[in-house]
Amino acid sequence: MTMSAIRGSRRLIAGAAGTAALALVLTACGGGSDDGGSGDGGGGSAESMVIGTTDKITSLDPAGSYDNGSFAVMNQIYPFLMNTPYGSPDVEPDIAESAEFTSPTEYTVKLKPGLKWANGNDLTSSDVKFTFDRQLAIADENGPSSLLYNLDSVETPDDTTVVFKLKSENDQIFPQILSSPVGPIVDEDVFSADAVTDDQAIVDGKAFAGQYSITSYKANELISYEAYDGYQGVLGAAKTPKIAAKYFTDASNLKLEAQDGSVDVAFRSLSPTDIEDLRGDDSVKVVDGPGGEIRYITFNFNTQPYGEKQSDADPKKATAVRQAVADLIDRQALADQVYKGTYTPLYSFVPDGLTGATEPLKEMYGDGQGGPDTDKAKKTLEDAGVTTPVELNLQYSNDHYGPSSGDEYALIKDQLEESGLFKVNLQTTEWVQYSKDRTADVYPAYQLGWFPDYSDADNYLTPFFLKENFLANHYVNQDVEDMILEQAVTADEAKRTELLGQIQEAEAKDLSTVPYLQGAQVAVTGADVTGTEDTLDASFKFRYAALAKG
Amino acid sequence: MTSGEITSVGTAGAAPEHVGGRGAWFKKLPVVHQVRQSVGLQRGMLIAGLVLTAVFVLVAVFAPLLAPYGWSQLRDLDGAFGAQQPPSAEHWFGTTVGGYDVLSRVIWGARTALLVVLVAVASSIVVGVLLGLVSGYFGGWLDRLLVVVADAIYAFPSLLLAILLAIVISGGQSSMWGGILAAALSITVVFVPQYFRVVRAEVVRIKAEAFVDSARVLGTGHWRIMTRHVLRNSTRTLPLIVTLNASEAILTLAGLGFLGFGIEPTAAAEWGYDLQRSLADVTSGIWWTALFPGLAIVLAAMGMTLMGESLNDLADPRLRSRARSGQVSGAVAATAVEPNPKGDDA
Amino acid sequence: MRFLLIIPTVFILVTTVFALMRATGDPITAALGGKLPPDQLQQLIHAAGYDRPILVQYWEYLTNIFSGDFGTTISDNRPVTEVLTTYGAATLELACYAVLVALVLGVPFGMVSGYFRDRLPDAVLRILAILAYATPVFFAGLILKLVFSVWLGWFPVAGRVSTDGEIAMQLAGADSGFMLIDAFKTGDPAVVLDVLSHAALPAIALGLLTAGVFLRLVRTNMIGTLGTGYIDAARSRGVKEGRLVRKHAWRPALIPIITVAGMQVAMLLVGAVLTETTFEWRGLGFQLSEYLQARDFVAVQGIVVLMAVVVAVTNFLVDVIAALIDPRVRY
Repeated sequence: MTMSAIRGSRRLIAGAAGTAALALVLTACGGGSDDGGSGDGGGGSAESMVIGTTDKITSLDPAGSYDNGSFAVMNQIYPFLMNTPYGSPDVEPDIAESAEFTSPTEYTVKLKPGLKWANGNDLTSSDVKFTFDRQLAIADENGPSSLLYNLDSVETPDDTTVVFKLKSENDQIFPQILSSPVGPIVDEDVFSADAVTDDQAIVDGKAFAGQYSITSYKANELISYEAYDGYQGVLGAAKTPKIAAKYFTDASNLKLEAQDGSVDVAFRSLSPTDIEDLRGDDSVKVVDGPGGEIRYITFNFNTQPYGEKQSDADPKKATAVRQAVADLIDRQALADQVYKGTYTPLYSFVPDGLTGATEPLKEMYGDGQGGPDTDKAKKTLEDAGVTTPVELNLQYSNDHYGPSSGDEYALIKDQLEESGLFKVNLQTTEWVQYSKDRTADVYPAYQLGWFPDYSDADNYLTPFFLKENFLANHYVNQDVEDMILEQAVTADEAKRTELLGQIQEAEAKDLSTVPYLQGAQVAVTGADVTGTEDTLDASFKFRYAALAKG
Repeated sequence: MTSGEITSVGTAGAAPEHVGGRGAWFKKLPVVHQVRQSVGLQRGMLIAGLVLTAVFVLVAVFAPLLAPYGWSQLRDLDGAFGAQQPPSAEHWFGTTVGGYDVLSRVIWGARTALLVVLVAVASSIVVGVLLGLVSGYFGGWLDRLLVVVADAIYAFPSLLLAILLAIVISGGQSSMWGGILAAALSITVVFVPQYFRVVRAEVVRIKAEAFVDSARVLGTGHWRIMTRHVLRNSTRTLPLIVTLNASEAILTLAGLGFLGFGIEPTAAAEWGYDLQRSLADVTSGIWWTALFPGLAIVLAAMGMTLMGESLNDLADPRLRSRARSGQVSGAVAATAVEPNPKGDDA
Repeated sequence: MRFLLIIPTVFILVTTVFALMRATGDPITAALGGKLPPDQLQQLIHAAGYDRPILVQYWEYLTNIFSGDFGTTISDNRPVTEVLTTYGAATLELACYAVLVALVLGVPFGMVSGYFRDRLPDAVLRILAILAYATPVFFAGLILKLVFSVWLGWFPVAGRVSTDGEIAMQLAGADSGFMLIDAFKTGDPAVVLDVLSHAALPAIALGLLTAGVFLRLVRTNMIGTLGTGYIDAARSRGVKEGRLVRKHAWRPALIPIITVAGMQVAMLLVGAVLTETTFEWRGLGFQLSEYLQARDFVAVQGIVVLMAVVVAVTNFLVDVIAALIDPRVRY
């Protein structure tokens, strides 16, 4: 075992070791190894910083992964055609000069001239075409190619011009798609056209042109970054020349290293308990930003109490049951007790921070100020003629949305039963079975969460409330459907925002789902770290380049 | 032969026939007999083990009376408990990250642990003794096959087996009985070879002895002879294996819970799960959520191990404390079982 | 002839793992079910051959394993063999430290305990030994971490080396997988110290567990040999008690210690799963729990098979060695 172990790990690192770039990293951090023994090495100077995370990387190839951990790395190292500047959820041209609809089905992007990859290759429209063609060709099951649902073909009239031919007209979402996980541009000389490219080949080929390039890479353990001066996009140059990203699996270890200074910035995901504890620690700063993750209860319109396939089917009563649930949930208590403020109450289907988000549920349900109201729920149920207590089978996943789900649903059960209006049977199932059961009408009401593909309100509406939807909960409302389809092609921003508001209003009456929590982005940094506030924005992209120390 | 006869072995079987001594029948019971036999340190250890185990069993049995709240209770008449509250008059051991009362969960957790121990020990004994009898009695290829399989399974790290079984039984989802069965059955599989070995060795030995023939001449049935003599002789070593079996069951259940294959908090209280959920608490200076379930595991396992350890000493003439060793007439074959010989527990 | 039993033993273990893993259904559904539409899932299952008769799959699994092919992980697409070799080294390193701790604590204290049999030092040591193996290794780890790294700050919290040390190693081209060897290769004493300080707590947590077993064993054997004529003869020759224990009594006790040390491999490996998880020691046990979280049963199957086989083979080697040392041991 010993010998083969040596061979195995040598192959893993051989490419990176000994390169000149690595020597540079060492010059930056080398001094630190003297105090490494005491475990407080850290970055040492403003030249370099250590970032800790519990993220997981599946692949550095944009065609081979579709998860937060991998995308977090891609945001540092690959350029995008469209990107969100610091502090905004809306997209602007990144390494492009301009991007616009030149006809209803043609979206034309002009690249800045003279762009180069970190390996010296030219970055041209040919790379861009290659990027999207290979996404569609590979269509890996773990990849994001499905986001290109509206892309027909890509044309390149010249070296700096790219024309995207779209299937449907005036797609207002497409610019957002270009900033999404399917959007990172890759080097056609390094990446394979028809297969997911190996991480090490990407690192060896230095196929980077984002704010940083990777100088050494050990999957899910340690990544060394170095600022790439050839990046000319909307985000500007990196503030800290060298970054080491350290991958943890145990959040409490990350917390302790953040506390003792071994890690300068801890981002994703410390436990609520840890974060609360760190808020009282002067040696670190806890920085909060809006988060894109939402948590909601989905109702199955066929099998919920008084649902269409029940013997006592009655749409009015069914709606009253959903509304009573919305009245009774104490969102603040959930946010505080279970998540210690790392989640915030959510009163709409589109989370706070995104363009077009409103809070219709706040006024319509509970005490009108966001709190629960038992009397209101009682009246709602009585008016509809519902006999109480209503028996509700409520299902949650014990392994997909983190270890606190058990606590979350125990508290929801408690809140609903406290009123005397509900009798809740709480059940849990592991995720694989859960996913099968929920679309097979097994669960009358169940927990789900959502993390957006791109920072647009549409991503919180289209997948959920059209006739054919991801929830498969048999919800149909033609008005809502029409409005959702309309906003997606409305170019006038003010008009679109108004439409989004109307959709949320209408949906708040129907309550196909009852949203209740929105995840906050929380970073913990050393007291001397600046810039965290700038990147903890509604783009949900954490850019290392915004961070500086001292 | 009925299974009743077999299961009675561990708890109330007759005293080993080679051991002399007079007195009331209960003095001959395993464990009771050994307490009398022991002196000094060994007696201290044995009694300490008995006391710890008795407390564990009593807490488990009387959990509904002892626990101030239910294991998944979040509020009482005065309102919600709140999460991670430090120990107070209402919550002696504080509350957990989920807002449960730690004391109540520790007490209810004893019940879950005891169930695992009972299922594990009962099924190991039934299967192990049965197979041992069959294997030793019939001999031949069946015997050889069973011995090889037993040796192989014996080498299987029990926690790994438990993980695999947890996946098979519950697919990772954890109802109360799913978690209990996963831990108990994996322990069963690993411990069956131990009972099997002891019983088989006895069978083989006795089969060769003259009195079996004489009994047969008298017309007594084979099985009757075998079970009677074998089981009598095995009572010397079986209580020892039972204690190891029990402590291993507790540790495996806790290990499963710690690895995230535990029982959901609303289904039952389980110490390993509570420990795992308290990892973040510990680094934030919240000590009460980890300490108490941890101590509960240690004390329960320690009670069993202390008993096993001292029983082992008493079964091994070399290790028996000198003062009384002379009282035991007739040299018993040194078939002491190593406590925790592989000890692949947590 | 007993030596030949290693073959059926391994065969039975490998078969048991296969049977259990397949009893749950196919690994692709387990890992990706719910994330992919059913038709895509079906394609993958078909491509991987999980829709063929179970016996065909079993035969393929056996032949693959014996040619060293454990398949490819589902969650991160790595050859399982690579996972085993890369992380096996880390586990081996931890196990070595732990055995060292166990020997250093277990043997001398076992001798003391045996010598002062049934007296106070014996009582205290035995209670401690029992405490050591009644304590789940993750609880011991938690307490060690809390006391020595959070409160006292003497040792790092987790991991095998600090970020700076790791970068220094990469620069030095040291990538043997054994951190201590790599640290020496950098030629920087600070890195060596760094590696050792990272190893201290996990080694103690895992070592304590084994130390309890060693102590017990050494004690038993001490008592056994102290009572034999060999020692009485030495004693009557006027050999001093201390020398008696050090020079004479422990030697015959050595063989069973080797035997039991070999048998501890199973315990060490399982202990390692929990220790590595607690301290983020990136070895096989750590990976196992990671793959369990990801429901990647191809990887789980590979790691479990390897661990079970390592245990079986070690037990077999111990038998052989014991037979070589002591010809009386016959099989």
